[in-house]
Amino acid sequence: MNERLDALRTYLLKKKHHAFVRTAEEAGIAGLNERFAREGTPDQMRSAMVFSEMMKNQDPVILPGEKIVFTRTIKDVPFIYTEKEWEGIKATHYIHERGTVSNISPDYETTIRLGLGARKDEVKARLAQGNAGEEGKIFLESVLKCIDSLQDLILRYEETARAIGAEDTAEVLSNVRTKGAGSFREALQLLRIIHFAIWAADNYHNTLGRFDQYMYPYYRHDIDNGILTPGEAFDLLEEFFLTCNKDSDFYPGMQQGDNGQSIVLGGRDSDGNYLFNELSEMCLKASYELRLIDPKINIRVDSRTPDEIFEMGSRLTKIGLGFPQYSNDDVVIPGLVRKGYSEKDARNYVVAACWEFIIPKVAMDIVNIDGLSLAACVKDALPGLKDCKDYDAFYSLVDKEIRKEADLICAKHKDLYMIPSPMMSLLMDGTIERARDISLGCKYNNFGIHGTGLATATDSLAAIRKYVFEEKTVTPERLLAALKADFKNDPELKELLRKEAPKMGQDIDWVDSIGTDLLDSFDKALEGRHNERGGIYRAGTGTAMYYIWHARDLGATPDGRTAEENIPANYSPSLFMKQKGPISVIKSFSKPHLQRVINGGPLTLEFDQTVFSNEESIRKLGMLVKTFITLGGHQLQLNTVNREELLDAKAHPENHRQLIVRVWGWSGYFVELDECYQDHVISRIEFGV
Amino acid sequence: MTTGTIFSIEEFAIHDGPGIRTTVFLKGCPLRCTWCHNPEGQGFEPETMVKKGEKSVCGERISPEKLVAKLLRNEEIFKMNGGGVTFTGGEPLSQAQFLLEVLEKLGGRIHTAIETSGYAPKEVFRKVTDKVDLVMMDIKMVDPKRHREWTGLSNALILSNLETLIGSGKPFIARIPLIPGVNDDRENLEKTAVLLEGATGLQRVELLPYHKTAGAKYPMVAREYLPGFDTEIPPRLDTEPFEKRNIKTMIL
Repeated sequence: MNERLDALRTYLLKKKHHAFVRTAEEAGIAGLNERFAREGTPDQMRSAMVFSEMMKNQDPVILPGEKIVFTRTIKDVPFIYTEKEWEGIKATHYIHERGTVSNISPDYETTIRLGLGARKDEVKARLAQGNAGEEGKIFLESVLKCIDSLQDLILRYEETARAIGAEDTAEVLSNVRTKGAGSFREALQLLRIIHFAIWAADNYHNTLGRFDQYMYPYYRHDIDNGILTPGEAFDLLEEFFLTCNKDSDFYPGMQQGDNGQSIVLGGRDSDGNYLFNELSEMCLKASYELRLIDPKINIRVDSRTPDEIFEMGSRLTKIGLGFPQYSNDDVVIPGLVRKGYSEKDARNYVVAACWEFIIPKVAMDIVNIDGLSLAACVKDALPGLKDCKDYDAFYSLVDKEIRKEADLICAKHKDLYMIPSPMMSLLMDGTIERARDISLGCKYNNFGIHGTGLATATDSLAAIRKYVFEEKTVTPERLLAALKADFKNDPELKELLRKEAPKMGQDIDWVDSIGTDLLDSFDKALEGRHNERGGIYRAGTGTAMYYIWHARDLGATPDGRTAEENIPANYSPSLFMKQKGPISVIKSFSKPHLQRVINGGPLTLEFDQTVFSNEESIRKLGMLVKTFITLGGHQLQLNTVNREELLDAKAHPENHRQLIVRVWGWSGYFVELDECYQDHVISRIEFGV
Repeated sequence: MTTGTIFSIEEFAIHDGPGIRTTVFLKGCPLRCTWCHNPEGQGFEPETMVKKGEKSVCGERISPEKLVAKLLRNEEIFKMNGGGVTFTGGEPLSQAQFLLEVLEKLGGRIHTAIETSGYAPKEVFRKVTDKVDLVMMDIKMVDPKRHREWTGLSNALILSNLETLIGSGKPFIARIPLIPGVNDDRENLEKTAVLLEGATGLQRVELLPYHKTAGAKYPMVAREYLPGFDTEIPPRLDTEPFEKRNIKTMIL
C-alpha cells in the first residue's frame, strides 16, 4: 500500500469523513412522504423523487488524496411512504425484509461501457415509442429523473475537483458524466458512482458481482497502451476497495458488516477456460494488504482449478478476514440448470450478499425469503415415535413434517409488494424495454429457502436410529421425557447422546446418509411448487441469522443439545461433535446431493490462527480446499480464529476495534456484533495443529 | 496376532511430512526427554487422563487390520494430494512388530513416514526404515553425556542408526527440537550439521522451537512438569551451521 492510500485508509478507519454527514432531516428532505401522500404520487415516482433529493442534497466531498471520489453525506434515505400508508400496504401484502429491492446482482458492465448519456438516450427512445402504457411511462420518466439527478451530482463533484486543483479527477468525472469509461480509472470511478447510487436509492445488499471479469477489459487496455503500470493499476484497485468501506456504517443489514458487498473471482466458461486473470490475483492481494471487511471475496473454483489459486486464496484466509469463500462450478452450474436456469446464465452465476447463488442482470430472485428448520421437523415428528415399528417409519414422519412446513412457508409469500427502484432497474436486463420496474420481476423470479439445523437434525435421527431402533437401549418414552425436561431429569442420557452418539462430520456413511435424506426431502418438498411470480423454490443449506432464531424455540433435541444451546451456522457440524478432524468433516459434508440444494450455504471450517505458520502450511490448506471441491462439496468458507483474542475482545472491546470475524455469510468487526453472535463465533469448534 | 497401542489419530497433520497426512500416535517411549509435550505417549499401557474435569482412557489397543482399514478410508485423498500416513509416538519403533504388520498390510498403496527418536535395535531400525517412504528422525543432542542427562538414555544407538540411515540413501528429514539452554547452543548445532553434511537422502533440517505450552498435558496424567530449564527464555533460532553447509533448513 502506498503512503497516499495508507493515509486514506487510516482516515476512513478513524471515520473522519463522518464529519461531513448529516441526517435526511437535517438536510430538509425527511418529510417528502407526507407530500407524496397528500398528492397521491405513484410509488415509482416517489422513489425517483427521493433519489433525486438525495442527490441534490449531497455535498460533494473529496477526501485527502482521493482519486476515486463520491462519499455519502446524507446518512439515511427518507422512506417513500408515511407510516400509515406503509401499515396499510403491510396489512394486505407480503413484505420481504425492509421492502426495498435487495440482494441481487446488478449489471454494472453495460452502463460502464455505454455511459450514462447513452443509457439516457435509450430510455428516451423507449418513451418516444409511445406504447409503454401509463405505468410504463411513469416508470421510464422515473428512470430519467434518476439519471439526471445523478449526472447533476457528478457535475458538482467535477466542479469541486476543479476548485481544489484536482484536474485529473475533474477530467475523469467530466468524461463519465455522459460517456462510457475509456480507462481503468474511469471504469472504477463510474462503478463507484453507480454503486453509491443504488445504496442511496435505498437498495441494500448491493453485490459487486464478477468484478474481475467486467473490469478486466479496462485494466488490459490501460496496461497494453502504457496508460498505467500494473503498480498504478493496483493502487487504483486498492482505492476502489477502500471506497467500499467508506459509507458502510450507513448500510442496513441484520448486523453491522452484513452489507452484501461481495465480489466473485474466477469461474469457468462454456469453452472450458478458467477465467482467473491478473486482476483477479490483484484483488486477492489488495484485500490481503488492506485487511478490511469489504469487499467480501469469493472465488469460483472447480476440480480442475490450478493449485496456485487455492494457495493464493489460503494466503488470504490466513490473515483472518473470514474470506475468500469458495464455490464449486462443478456442482453449482448443473444445480442451477436443474432448477431451470439456462446454461449460459448458470455459467455466469455469482453469490448474493452471503452465499446464495444468483445470476447477474437477469435474476430478481429472493434468495432468502424464508428458512425451514430441519431440526424442528425432527422434533415435531417425535410424538409419533412410539408408534413407529422401525427407523424408516419414523423417517417418513419427518419427511411429512418437512412437507407440511414447506406448505406453510410457501403459503406465506402471497401478494408480494416491493418498493420500486428506478435506479436499480436501470442496471437490470430488459427493464427499459419492458418499461417495468425491477421490483416487479425479471427473467428469473425464484425464491430461496434456507435449510437450518441440518447437523442437529441428522445427529438427532442418527441417535434415534441407533439407540431407539437398533440397540433398543433407549425407549421413546425416556427420550421424550428427557427432552421435555431439557435433560435435567436424565443427565446420563444427555451424556450418551452428546458424546457417544455418532454425528455428521465424523465420516460415518450411514450417519451422513441421513443428512443426504434430509436434504433430498427438503428439495422434494419444494419441487413443482411455483410462487406467485411464476418462479420456483430453491432449497439451500444456509442459515443466515436463523441459527440464532430457530434455536430459540427448538427446545432440547435428541442429539443431546439443551434448549439454550445454539445450532450450527450454515452447513456445519454440531457445535459439540467429538472431532476426528477436518478430513472427516469435508468427507461427510461432500456426500449429500448438493446439486439439489442450490440456494447455497457453505460448510464452515474454523482453524486456530497458529496452524498456518509457514508457506507449506498454506499450501496444505489449499490442498484441503481443493479436496473438498474435488469430492463434490458446493461451497466452503474458512476462518482462522484465536479464541483467546475473541474472549479478550469481548471483555475489552476498546483494544480490538479492528478484529474481524466471519459471522454467517459475511465478515464484520467482532466488537460491533450483538452478544449472541459474538458467543456463537466463540463456541464454534476450531481445529488446532 | 500382534496388537498395537495407539493414543491418537490425527487428521490433516500439517507438519508431519508431505501432502495431506494422517498421523498415528503409537503409545510408549523409552526416552524421557524433560521437555516432552506428550507425556501421555510415554507409558506403554493405556492410562487414565483427566481433561477439563472429564476422565477418559488414553490409549487404545488396535489390530493392524483395523488400523489399516481406518487409514485406507482416506486413500483417495492421500493420493490426490501426495500425502499419506505418518507414524509417530511415543516411539513407533518400540512397537516394531505391529508397525511392520501395518506397513505390510498397507502394501505401498499410500505414502508412509515415521517420526522416530532413532532409539531402537539396529536390526529393527533397518527393517522399518526400509519399509517406509520417508524417515523423520530426531537428533536431539550429539554429546552422549548431555543426551543421557536430558533424555535418560545414551545416544550411542541413535547415532549409529543415523549412520545406517545416511548410508542407506533413504529420504529423510532431520528434526531438532530447540530447547533453550539445553541443545540450542552453537556447538551442538555445529556438531549436528557435521554429522549430516553430505548425506544424500537428507531433504532438509527442521528446527522445532520449544513452546511454553509443552507442559500443559502433565496435570492431565497426574504428573508434574519438571523441565529442568528456564521455559521463559525463547530458544536460539540458529540456522547458520546448516545453511553454511548448504543444508536446507526450516523452522516449524
